[in-house]
Amino acid sequence: MKKALISIVSFLLMLTMLFGMIACGPTETEGEAGATDTEGNIIVKIMFHVDKSSTEGQAYQKRVNAFNAAYKDQKIKAQAIFKARSAGASGYETELQNNQTEGTLADIITFDAPNTAAYATSGLLYDISSLISADEQSKFYSLNKYNGKLYGIPIQESSAGFFYNKKIFRDAGINVDGITAENPWTLEDFKDVCAKLKAHGVTAVDMRIDATKDETAPYLLYPFIYANGGSFVSEDGYTANGYYNSANTAKGFQFIKDLISAGYTSYAIGSTDFFTGKVGMYLSSGWTIPDLDNKYREYFSSRDDWGLLPYPKGTEAASATGSWSYAITNNHHTDKTASLELLKWMTSAESSRAITDATGMIPARKDAVKDYAPGSPEYTLMKQLELSGTERPVTVAYPTFSTTFNQIIFGLDNGNVTDLLNSATKTLQDAIDKIKERG
Amino acid sequence: MTVTSIVIFLLFLFAFGGFVIYDLLTAKRHKEVYRVKSTVTAYLMLLPSVALAFLFILLPILYSLGYAFTDYYLLQPDKIGFVFLDNFAEIFEEISTKGMLYNAIINTLTFVVGVVPLQIGLALLLALFVNRPGIGSKIFKVCFFAPVVISLSVTAFLWEQILAPGPGGLLNSMLSVFGVAPHDWLRDPATAMPCIIVLSAWQGCGYQMLIFLSGLSNIRKDLYEAASLDGANAWHKFWNVTWVGLRSTFVYILITVFIGACRIMTQPMLMTGYMEHTVTLSYYMYNSGYTERLVGESSAVALLMTIFIGGITLMQRRLFREK
Amino acid sequence: MDTRTKELQNFRPNKTPAKKTVKEIIYHVVGIVISVIFVLPIVYMIATSTKSESAYAASVGTLNMFLPDFANLGVAFENYGNVLLNYDIWKYALNSCIYALIVIVLNILVNGLAGYVMAKLTFPGKKLLSFMIIFLIVVPVETSIIPLYSIVKIMLGLKQQMSVLGVILPATISIFNIFLFMQFFENIPKEYEEAARIDGASTLDVFFKVIMPLSKPIIATVAVFCFIGVWNDYLWPSMILPSADDGSWPLLPIQTALITIKSIESITTGEIMASLVITSIPIFVIYVAAQKYIVQGFGTSGLKM
Repeated sequence: MKKALISIVSFLLMLTMLFGMIACGPTETEGEAGATDTEGNIIVKIMFHVDKSSTEGQAYQKRVNAFNAAYKDQKIKAQAIFKARSAGASGYETELQNNQTEGTLADIITFDAPNTAAYATSGLLYDISSLISADEQSKFYSLNKYNGKLYGIPIQESSAGFFYNKKIFRDAGINVDGITAENPWTLEDFKDVCAKLKAHGVTAVDMRIDATKDETAPYLLYPFIYANGGSFVSEDGYTANGYYNSANTAKGFQFIKDLISAGYTSYAIGSTDFFTGKVGMYLSSGWTIPDLDNKYREYFSSRDDWGLLPYPKGTEAASATGSWSYAITNNHHTDKTASLELLKWMTSAESSRAITDATGMIPARKDAVKDYAPGSPEYTLMKQLELSGTERPVTVAYPTFSTTFNQIIFGLDNGNVTDLLNSATKTLQDAIDKIKERG
Repeated sequence: MTVTSIVIFLLFLFAFGGFVIYDLLTAKRHKEVYRVKSTVTAYLMLLPSVALAFLFILLPILYSLGYAFTDYYLLQPDKIGFVFLDNFAEIFEEISTKGMLYNAIINTLTFVVGVVPLQIGLALLLALFVNRPGIGSKIFKVCFFAPVVISLSVTAFLWEQILAPGPGGLLNSMLSVFGVAPHDWLRDPATAMPCIIVLSAWQGCGYQMLIFLSGLSNIRKDLYEAASLDGANAWHKFWNVTWVGLRSTFVYILITVFIGACRIMTQPMLMTGYMEHTVTLSYYMYNSGYTERLVGESSAVALLMTIFIGGITLMQRRLFREK
Repeated sequence: MDTRTKELQNFRPNKTPAKKTVKEIIYHVVGIVISVIFVLPIVYMIATSTKSESAYAASVGTLNMFLPDFANLGVAFENYGNVLLNYDIWKYALNSCIYALIVIVLNILVNGLAGYVMAKLTFPGKKLLSFMIIFLIVVPVETSIIPLYSIVKIMLGLKQQMSVLGVILPATISIFNIFLFMQFFENIPKEYEEAARIDGASTLDVFFKVIMPLSKPIIATVAVFCFIGVWNDYLWPSMILPSADDGSWPLLPIQTALITIKSIESITTGEIMASLVITSIPIFVIYVAAQKYIVQGFGTSGLKM
């Protein structure tokens, strides 16, 4: 009895001790520019969305270490925090909002570009418009702006395009040599190629219209709406009505619907069909490049067997862009000078090159450009990004936009485009209004 | 939050104290005898579990149900304000205009009505099938349980391949032998929910099979012999001996499967995404709470759902209790 | 109904041996067919783990999905070798085992004690507690993960090492296990306890020396489900644990680590499946070993809700 009682009591003591941990603070002292350690260094915390053991995480850590070596004399010390987001966005965002309430928010965070509006309006991000010179700003392909204010600077860029099977194209007698990022094809050219492929007896193009469970379909397909002169929300991001259901937007979706009706693409294309030579073209992001280089040797033995075509051009030229970005946060450290130093370091040409070397993505800075041979897939993506890269709509209710976009694509073959757009517009407008009320 | 939690803790203690005093006062009427020593021992032994349950289960649930009356927006936790019944008004508006929530309710009901009998029936059949001696049945038992322990991402991917829409889909290519045209199982509103019902039942029934097996192992063998002597046929034996013996096991399984079915979320999430014809209540809550970040509204739905599930569960208990 | 009737007929003693053999064969054939339907994911997992990316891509949508790539068995060794050598899987698996072990011991102690008190002792406030047990089983917990996260963070403070407790402590309490223990203990005849009481044993002595030894089936059941729960959980640890530091031992459990591994760009589907096969083995071994006890654990004289 006694032994058991003692064990229970000690268990309870353990619990009380845990509660006591609240009282124990960190050994650092807080200052306006950041926490200061015992040696008088200002600590700047930076939180990354990837696992530290990943190649990308390693690249970040190396750049942070290099920063610490370079800024030793100025007594600034960067500390990297890694919070992998791979298990779902909720984990990373719950961490962010908790840190915000507890006052433990890192000085710099990384965030997904479509979240700019939501994070900015909720006061999570610090306005850096005046801190980054116009000259410096012009060096980036894209910037994370909301209502004219600058909130984030991209880490790296991505773009997408149409991977195509050169063997199939040769057999079908299709010549696409003249189509480059500088001189893109038109929507009509695109349909012609599809028609020829269909006549040749293969599925023309995998438009990924079945990838409506996550961000894949919105990310790959939104440029088609812009190419037709359509739009999704107003400039300030608060009005969907009149934009999302406008005639030009409908034209964009109708274009995709026509591809389905004509039998050029379908929901039934298997996820690996392009890689086994059953489909002529495959709409995908740059990360398919290493897959085609390494994983499918039986079907694509070298780059002579596949190529990459840019997005077709309509009344406008538009192509997909996407990035994770750095932002200085609105935390309790009011003096942002140390944070700014770290931000500049991490977005420098050197860092940009080092990180994209590890990830295979496109550098966010134009002056970090790598020497890709004109005509290579990487060159096409990069050039296309420079010439026609258009951001996804900036709105506080971006997640709702993404959901409604998926729903439209999902119902496109059986549904009427106007009806689908009207219902999506209503849903998005409701969500925007709700968040606006709370803002 | 620390202060609020302490306040809730004190309220909890206060309420608990009230109940204890009530129990003590009505002890005589209920013919209960409470002894000081055994009461103290009981509380000491309960302390670890009550402390842990309060911290990690009750407190989070109370918070999340409390959010139902606020405008909590995930990104602005510091600007949380009471809106009283506004969230519920919005819920009823969304239901009356046949919005997403209306679909979620219909789909959840469809799922529950479909999966509960199917899963329990399958589990019972499988249990009866393997309830015999021999190495064969032992191996079958392990096989039937397999989907319960396999990672959901594997089973979801497999089912996607089976139900793949093109002529290359496994089910479609098998059906094409009989001349059936390829069908888009998960996009067609008529077949999507039934497919999800079947795969959920398939995945879960191994667990209930085990519970049925344990129920079967408790039925005395001599009852069957007695029934045989009375000239009962197999059906009579099943109905009068097996079924009667399984009754309390059945009620337990019914309630747990029902509660689990009401919370269905992962399968539609992995198989179709957030679409009108497969959205369920839990998925709706997840989407509005995490994706759209409107925690207040999501909690209001959770509160209504709790009341609903709780009500039905109580009804089931009343209905099936041994009379 | 038909299979059931047939199946019950199997037990009839007055059958000719020949007829019996035929029935036996039919029984096993039917059993094998049903089993195949249930083990498909495992077959698929193992088959895929032996394939290169292009062999896998070619097999998708055909019955080859379920057949290993016999022509290139070297790929299978490569896949398993890569997974075991490059991604430190065994470290994460060991972590999961340690977490699971601690959780199992604490879970059985904490919930067993509670179950015992609820089943066997009378004290004021019991009715409220038994109502709470049912309430907490019924209430949906989808939205409570946000406040739970805040509570654990406040409790454990900022120290990263403490976050391990954040994984273990919430898992030590399970209302459902209290319920299972309660059901099981209620069916243990009073005589056992009374005999011990007469010898002067205290309540705790009775619990540890009389009740627990009689409760091996339910303890095994709870232990197995604790293990499966800890082993398969990925979302909560990914929220609460810091990701690996250079050199030091990682804290992540296996499933969370697997998600990170899966997101590595150069990894092939075959390697992902190989890692899933490896991580499924412990669960299977434990389940097969404890199966007999689980049936008994749910059993006694039936569960009452």
